[in-house]
Amino acid sequence: MVDGAARSLTDLMAGAETVAGRGTARAAAAGDAIDGVLPRIVVEPPSAEAIADTLAWASRDSLSVVIRGGGTKLDWGTPPRAVDVVLSTTRMRAVLAHRHGDLTATVEAGAPLAAVNRELARHHQWLPLDPPSTDRATIGGIIATNDSGPRRHRYGAPRDLILGVGMARADGHLAKAGGIVVKNVAGYDLARLLTGSFGSLAVIVSATFKLFPLARTSRTVAIDIAGARELQSLASAFLASQLTPTALELELPPPRLLVRFESVEAAADEQAREAVSLAAAQGAKARVLQDGDETAMWDAHDRRPWEGRGAIVKVSVLVSDLGDTLTWLAEAAGIDDCEVTGRAGLGVLLIRVDGDAEAQARLLTALRQRIPVGRGSAVLLRGSRELKARVDAWGPIGDGLDLMRAVKQRFDPSGILNPGRGPGGI
Amino acid sequence: MNATFLGELDQIVGREGVLRDPTDLLTYESDALARLRRRPGVVVLPKTAADVQAVVRHCHQNAVPFVARGHGTGLSGGALPAPDGVLIVLTRLNRILDVDIPNQRVTVEPGVVNLDVTQRVAPFGYYYAPDPSSQLVCSIGGNVAENSGGAHCLKYGFTVHHVLGLEAVLPNGEMVHLGGATLDTPGLDLLSVLVGSEGTLAVVTKVTLRLVRIPEAVRTLLAAFPSTEDAGNAVSEIIAAGIVPAAVEMMDRLTITAAEAAVHPGFPSAEAVLIVELDGAKAEVAELFGLVERICRSARATEIQIARDGEERARIWKGRKAAFAAMGRVSPNYYVQDGVIPRTKLPEVLRRIRALEVESGLRIGNVFHAGDGNLHPLVCYDERIEGQGALAERVASEILTYCIEAGGSITGEHGVGADKVQAMAHLFTADDLETMQLVRCAFDPTNICNPGKIFPTPRLCGEVPGPYRRHPIERAGLAERF
Ligand SMILES: Cc1cc2nc3c(=O)[nH]c(=O)nc-3n(C[C@H](O)[C@H](O)[C@H](O)COP(=O)(O)OP(=O)(O)OC[C@H]3O[C@@H](n4cnc5c(N)ncnc54)[C@H](O)[C@@H]3O)c2cc1C
Repeated sequence: MVDGAARSLTDLMAGAETVAGRGTARAAAAGDAIDGVLPRIVVEPPSAEAIADTLAWASRDSLSVVIRGGGTKLDWGTPPRAVDVVLSTTRMRAVLAHRHGDLTATVEAGAPLAAVNRELARHHQWLPLDPPSTDRATIGGIIATNDSGPRRHRYGAPRDLILGVGMARADGHLAKAGGIVVKNVAGYDLARLLTGSFGSLAVIVSATFKLFPLARTSRTVAIDIAGARELQSLASAFLASQLTPTALELELPPPRLLVRFESVEAAADEQAREAVSLAAAQGAKARVLQDGDETAMWDAHDRRPWEGRGAIVKVSVLVSDLGDTLTWLAEAAGIDDCEVTGRAGLGVLLIRVDGDAEAQARLLTALRQRIPVGRGSAVLLRGSRELKARVDAWGPIGDGLDLMRAVKQRFDPSGILNPGRGPGGI
Repeated sequence: MNATFLGELDQIVGREGVLRDPTDLLTYESDALARLRRRPGVVVLPKTAADVQAVVRHCHQNAVPFVARGHGTGLSGGALPAPDGVLIVLTRLNRILDVDIPNQRVTVEPGVVNLDVTQRVAPFGYYYAPDPSSQLVCSIGGNVAENSGGAHCLKYGFTVHHVLGLEAVLPNGEMVHLGGATLDTPGLDLLSVLVGSEGTLAVVTKVTLRLVRIPEAVRTLLAAFPSTEDAGNAVSEIIAAGIVPAAVEMMDRLTITAAEAAVHPGFPSAEAVLIVELDGAKAEVAELFGLVERICRSARATEIQIARDGEERARIWKGRKAAFAAMGRVSPNYYVQDGVIPRTKLPEVLRRIRALEVESGLRIGNVFHAGDGNLHPLVCYDERIEGQGALAERVASEILTYCIEAGGSITGEHGVGADKVQAMAHLFTADDLETMQLVRCAFDPTNICNPGKIFPTPRLCGEVPGPYRRHPIERAGLAERF
């Protein structure tokens, strides 16, 4: 059991500074609260070794640790019961290597994605991830949540791009897995294991990714659509076509499909034209955006679910279930009380549900009941404490849960890392 | 093996599904790495996932080790039987269970042959992207276990990028479902760890795969170069131009000669050939293909063949995919190595391999996935000559040191298996390996699932590691841990 509550603040500070170095620890302030819970101290170790030593100390002294990057997603999932130590990675923000000839880069965990991509752009390359808050969200946090954005349609999620990882284990050992090459099957794929682990297994200290060249031209076709069913049928038509969009997004209300093409100019133009005709064939009106209009439209789209104060649920369904799900949602929630964006081609949606906690909980529960295990999921990302007290943030995990617990137990035997917050309470 | 134990196996899979006659067992002594052989205690050929589960549970109850085997085309001894263990052969679990075109996925049993998936969905305009050269004969279960790749993985990714869901029997006989039909199933991503775990964590009984739409345009060229270095430069230029080809493959003179002798693809006689394929939207492919052609010419290509149709493309690929097997035409025996380097280190590593060739007196052919730096040096030898087999083995492992020194890996697609366990200790620290085995201990605490593979020193799972304390010398910065 973790229990740092009995320790005095001075004691904790002194302990942390002994292992992480002078001037690395401070008492937590109001801004450090995690989903309403105030931690005791914040430690910002300057190196992988210092992170490892901090963890060894926390393990020895049974202190609960929450790992923090940019702090943009710390309130996702189950709220913590108590937090002794916030371990911040923000002092580790270097791009350690950009091997542009090999299309790979190794980056420290605390580096914000946008800063990394600015650096990679010097050689016309990028790490093709476009989750929300790229200027603050760090590489470590993006890996830990496996977060992504519209371009996941073409490039995948962090899980698809990660090649190797450096980690600090809960017991204070530093270890690595994978490597710096794009193809590698030596040993277990711990880089992917840590991806999406929500800080429950180890601290990611650095990671290597596969990169892509920056596209020369971008065009987006914005298509207005009559309703949810038409939306599904048009999305399916795009999937069945030979067009190669980098994003195939939906948003509602009102229902729209946003289809992005990034390539050489001739191809982006030609594909945009074909997309317009495909939409027209289904009776939908489309227009092509580029340059400033296009960027502004995507910015607005990306921000949409996060604006306002509602709960955010990430829903994953089969593309063929999209129409039903959205129709049901509009009826159950009332169309004015929710806001949906998401990957129409992948069946991954972000739904903002407004209203009070009671209504939100009802909706989430009903939504989960509609989705059989193995055919989708509904995970609560952001939500009020009242809501999270009413429903489990993660929902059913399936028959792999015991095995996940066994893995957690091996990696973090004293249970100090994000205790109780991860999927299935690991 | 104990008669009661065997009797129970008969009960589970039926008499005709259990092989114990020494002559029957012969086939199963090795995978395609024939150098490593061991007779299994018994071979079982279950027909259903439930049978697999019952067999594994039976093994677990009796503390008998077991090894899963697909079609036995592995090149690292991954399916090498455990001494006195059960070999679970999955070839009879060979049904395609569900084809879901609207959602672009299929669900198959592990014994289904890789190419059968593509053949099944091609009429709908789809294919299964990972295309190992052995795709005519290897199983999806084996692909999952090895995280197999192929020539087209440069753009489309490896098996791990195409597996959405797995059903697997754990070493204690329990069945789990990881991932699923949809993305982002909540919980730890154990699916990704199971992929590429070489049969050491569980026996996979069902796989849901992602399908890829057949592209609008595909164009392929074959360019001949006066040296592998020139060909390598062309690859660098292509990447620097911001092009992501569907495939970039290189073959050197020896492997060209072998392929010509075996399947007559009509390759030019040259020091090196490059196969470059682009696919995607018509306009994109048209523009970039022209660029690739110009790059090859300015990198001193002496001849460029452009495939005019599917048939000519197939001919070019036939030459490439036959390369391993064709080595038999130029050498009585050969050793297939599999290493990876950062692509930009290609010239340097090739120079070292050439020097090694001279020094050892053994010919070394080179065929590689040049786009992703995955080398397959083919070390030629003659086992009738005393000591040459051992020399070839030393030469092959020397090449791995070059890969490690260049920042690469000891295997890009064939796996560690039984063959490269020692090399793992050169690539990874003791802490790295110990961390990987934390996973192993969570899945298989009694070490009965394909034991002896991947790790040089198996970890006993009882112990839970204590907190690490840095040594005072390290603390003072006088020593590095790695
Ligand atoms: C000529 C030739 C060319 C090749 N080319 C390529 C190539 O281009 N790319 C490439 O990646 N590989 C290649 N290979 C290697 C080999 O074909 C692959 O590794 C393939 O995936 C093995 O499949 P298999 O069914 O033969 O598996 P096997 O050899 O039977 O087994 C391989 C491993 O998988 C495990 N396994 C098998 N089935 C299961 C299951 N259901 N559950 C759990 N574990 C299981 C086994 O225990 C073993 O560790 C080539 C091999 C040959 C002989």
